[in-house]
Amino acid sequence: MLGLQPGSSTVVPTSAPVGHRFEPYDSNGGSIAAVCGKDFCIIASDTRQSTGYSIQTRYKPKVFRLNDKATLATNGFAADAEAMVSRIRQRLEWYRHSHGRSMPLHAIARMISTILYGKRFFPYYVYNILGGLDEEGKGAVYSFDPVGSYEREFCRAAGAAQSLIQPFLDNQIMFKNQHSTPEHTVPKPGEMSLPDVLKIVMDSFTSATERHIEVGDGLEMFVVRTPPSAQGEAIGAASVDLKAMGGVEAVGGEDEQEEGAVMVIRRELKKD
Amino acid sequence: MSDITTLNGGSCIAFKGKNCVAIACDLRLGNQALTVACNRDKVFKITDKTYLGMTGLASDVDTLRSAFRYRLNMYRMKEEREIEPETFAHLVSSTLYEKRFGPYFIEPIIAGLNSNNEPFIAAADLIGCLNFAKDFVVTGTASDKLFGMAEGLWEPDLGPEELFESISQALLGALERDALSGWGAIVRVITPDKVIERTLQSRQD
Amino acid sequence: MFLTRSEYDRGVNTFSPEGRLFQVEYALEAIKLGSTTVGISTKEGVVLGVEKRVQSSLLESSSIEKIMEIDRHLGAAMSGLTADARTMIEHARVTSQNHAFTYDEEIKVESATQAVCDLALRFGESTEDDEAMMSRPFGVALLIAGIDEKGPQLYHADPSGTFVRYDAKAIGSGSEGAQGELQDKYRKDMSLKEASILTLRVLKQVMEEKLDENNVQLATVVPRVAKDGRPSGQFAIMPVEELKKVIEEM
Repeated sequence: MLGLQPGSSTVVPTSAPVGHRFEPYDSNGGSIAAVCGKDFCIIASDTRQSTGYSIQTRYKPKVFRLNDKATLATNGFAADAEAMVSRIRQRLEWYRHSHGRSMPLHAIARMISTILYGKRFFPYYVYNILGGLDEEGKGAVYSFDPVGSYEREFCRAAGAAQSLIQPFLDNQIMFKNQHSTPEHTVPKPGEMSLPDVLKIVMDSFTSATERHIEVGDGLEMFVVRTPPSAQGEAIGAASVDLKAMGGVEAVGGEDEQEEGAVMVIRRELKKD
Repeated sequence: MSDITTLNGGSCIAFKGKNCVAIACDLRLGNQALTVACNRDKVFKITDKTYLGMTGLASDVDTLRSAFRYRLNMYRMKEEREIEPETFAHLVSSTLYEKRFGPYFIEPIIAGLNSNNEPFIAAADLIGCLNFAKDFVVTGTASDKLFGMAEGLWEPDLGPEELFESISQALLGALERDALSGWGAIVRVITPDKVIERTLQSRQD
Repeated sequence: MFLTRSEYDRGVNTFSPEGRLFQVEYALEAIKLGSTTVGISTKEGVVLGVEKRVQSSLLESSSIEKIMEIDRHLGAAMSGLTADARTMIEHARVTSQNHAFTYDEEIKVESATQAVCDLALRFGESTEDDEAMMSRPFGVALLIAGIDEKGPQLYHADPSGTFVRYDAKAIGSGSEGAQGELQDKYRKDMSLKEASILTLRVLKQVMEEKLDENNVQLATVVPRVAKDGRPSGQFAIMPVEELKKVIEEM
């Protein structure tokens, strides 16, 4: 709106033009982590989604079931994550149609790497952790950077509270800085039982919630394992009664799922 | 990049235990990514049962160490007694706040047993805002990692040996994920009758 | 059929009123002019054998290349217009490498065969266009041999883009006789060695010249474990000295 100054005939602008620039990225907070055991893998995330200091929602899943043997955790820019997961699921379906079987975990890992690198100059702003079972039925974790560099590991944390959770997992899962004594032998990494790993994952997130403002509200822990029904007598991770711990069947994904292959356990986290 | 608070690197942590406290620090002194020395203790004895840890700009750490020695000597002569950790915390706070608009770039933590042998820990920001924590305090370039470790490992009423074990694990775990801290560590556990001081080996990278 | 030529002979995209694509049928005829090629699949692996027509004593027989590697675990033997086969094998190689790059695993035999057949059908695409890549169907058939998690496999891919799996298959000029012989002699429990010898015997029967190490070529795919732990194969063209020995044993 233009105003006339009293006693003057010249028009003086009262507001300058406002320029707007499109910002294609946002950061939506939250944290993810995955830990694998001998015959299972746990992929977890908090469920808070935020932008800056505002909470957009207290329940927005960041972990996605891909198939019976693979689950993907995403963190960073939620819109990019969603678009990327759709693309991955579409590729998994195409693969199954052309090759007659579900894509194995290491192939999914490589494919995600190529998808990410394909957008090297306009990246998906997403940190990914892929968890599941490898072709020998062993637990596996693959972690990625936003442009596709990847690595197989025993455990990994990413996101807002990576710096809080990762050293804790180094200590509790990888047994870093722990040494065997005559009375106590330090176990090898990746051999812990499913209930023990669940406890560590829950502790990690309650700790992160306590000290990081972007983490909290809810916790989802996906458990990928060889389903109990596929074995004669349930042994190892398959013998753990996840239903008793509040576990429910995880939904979504590319394949027709087998009961008990991927389950999710939900817990409340502090909401402040 | 040219952040003065992370120029030299280094981290400190203190745990409260049952009738004891522990305070620990790494030994690195750096100049950005370059490691200059690996014998830089960041924890200083204030009294027999009170210790001060300082991280941040190394020159300010040195300056403040002298400033506190001066003020402690004055206190001791005037009061004819040793300072209580609670009182010392306020001394730290007021000393830092004096430079409210041109602060020392350090963040201190204090750990000690008072005259009743009650454990006390505290931390402050660079202008002296005190935080009397019930459980643990952390400071330095690995502070976020230390928060994660401590929040997971700390538990109430630990005895001296258990306290030593958990603070050591917390510090070493954090150091391995911080490029600006590490190169060994010193842990001190303060009990009513002695101070147990141990040097820890850690990765040299 | 050749007497009833009509305008439907011309366009590769045009069906005749009887529902035939003459150009594709002629392409299939072209294969029957090619040298005989045999493939046998056994539990121990797959054998490919080709006849090399050495038309002149001045011709360097080793320069005739009728068996080619597609990937470490895949090989193909051809009959017909061998120049066309180069395009197809190049496509199979690229597809196979692409699969390995994208998925960090070896492509399956069937998937590689499917890729070749997808290419075989591209002759009809935008023939008027500048971008037209193929003006006619391929005049060659392939026997694709390989091993994957489903075990040793042999596929026959032809210019119509059809592919079928065989235990044993012969293509080319002597294929009728050769196929009959294979029908008689093939056994499911053959060893790879027996299959190699059978391949040579079949070729010998249909060849005009006397069979020797210069006018035949053998290749095998034998079991191997891939780096991801899955069953896979190792393709190899048999060296002349080894081939000589097998011929002597025949």
